[in-house]
Amino acid sequence: MSKKRDKLQIIYDILSVIKEKNGKIKPTNILYKSNLSNQMFSEYMDELIQKGFIVETKANKSKTYSLSQKGFDYLSKYQMIVEFTSSFGLGE
Amino acid sequence: MMNYAIVPHWFAGYNSILEMLFFAITLLVGAYALKIYQLSGQRQHKLFGISFLLISASYLIQSVLNFLSSYSMAGGCNMQTMSSMHTLNIMGIYAHILFFIIGLVTLAYMSLRIKDLKAYFLFAAIAVGTLLASSNKLYFFYVISSILLIYISFFYLRNYLQTKKTNSLIVFIGFLFLLFAKIHFIFSVDHGAFYVVGHLLEFVAYTLILMNLVTVIKRK
Repeated sequence: MSKKRDKLQIIYDILSVIKEKNGKIKPTNILYKSNLSNQMFSEYMDELIQKGFIVETKANKSKTYSLSQKGFDYLSKYQMIVEFTSSFGLGE
Repeated sequence: MMNYAIVPHWFAGYNSILEMLFFAITLLVGAYALKIYQLSGQRQHKLFGISFLLISASYLIQSVLNFLSSYSMAGGCNMQTMSSMHTLNIMGIYAHILFFIIGLVTLAYMSLRIKDLKAYFLFAAIAVGTLLASSNKLYFFYVISSILLIYISFFYLRNYLQTKKTNSLIVFIGFLFLLFAKIHFIFSVDHGAFYVVGHLLEFVAYTLILMNLVTVIKRK
């Protein structure tokens, strides 16, 4: 059985999916690839937009998402964030 | 009433240097946690950073205070300055106690993973209220700090048992040393030797915490 993903890992997975698509992706694709329930997906996306990790663009009644600089920074420093979080017991 | 810890004469000055070192280490850990918070946006990182910055402020105050006390004891002040020093000393001890206790309460609140600020203010009010109402504030400060550190040490023991990583073990042992240090300080109100041992134990504790931080930074 696979280990349950923690919050930092889920955020990493969502941001990685967006990065793979060169920063332009539709919500259904992210939902499919991030392996989350609809409700969890909405909560994570709202949080990531609100905290400035991703940017939502609306055009012709459809939404696309791209990474902000903060999102790119998170991906590049992910391993260090995980180490710090795990050693100081800061996981949520 | 404010009782003082007994500081052995030969140790005056060294205590100030050690406290300045604790200030630098806790400031570094706190600032780094807030830097991680900028990247992650996670509330736990923010609370951890704030708690270490509060503890750092308490050491800065304590260090400056002890330096001024050592200076005045060495005969560097006249009677009027000595009187002002006494008032400053009392205010400084209160500030040190408040910053340190609120820092530990913040750390304990972070470890509980409660998202309710009312609970945080309740914990802080109980800890600070008990201190202000106590007859011997310094003694109760060490007792309350020890109680909070017992809880925090258990939290880090659980964290180590979950992760089984060397870094988590180092942090757990660090907080355990900090607990032993505070327990020694309880007795420093009557015996000077405990004051020195308390400082040495704190030195080991913060060295371990710094070691963990350096390891994390090196791995990035």
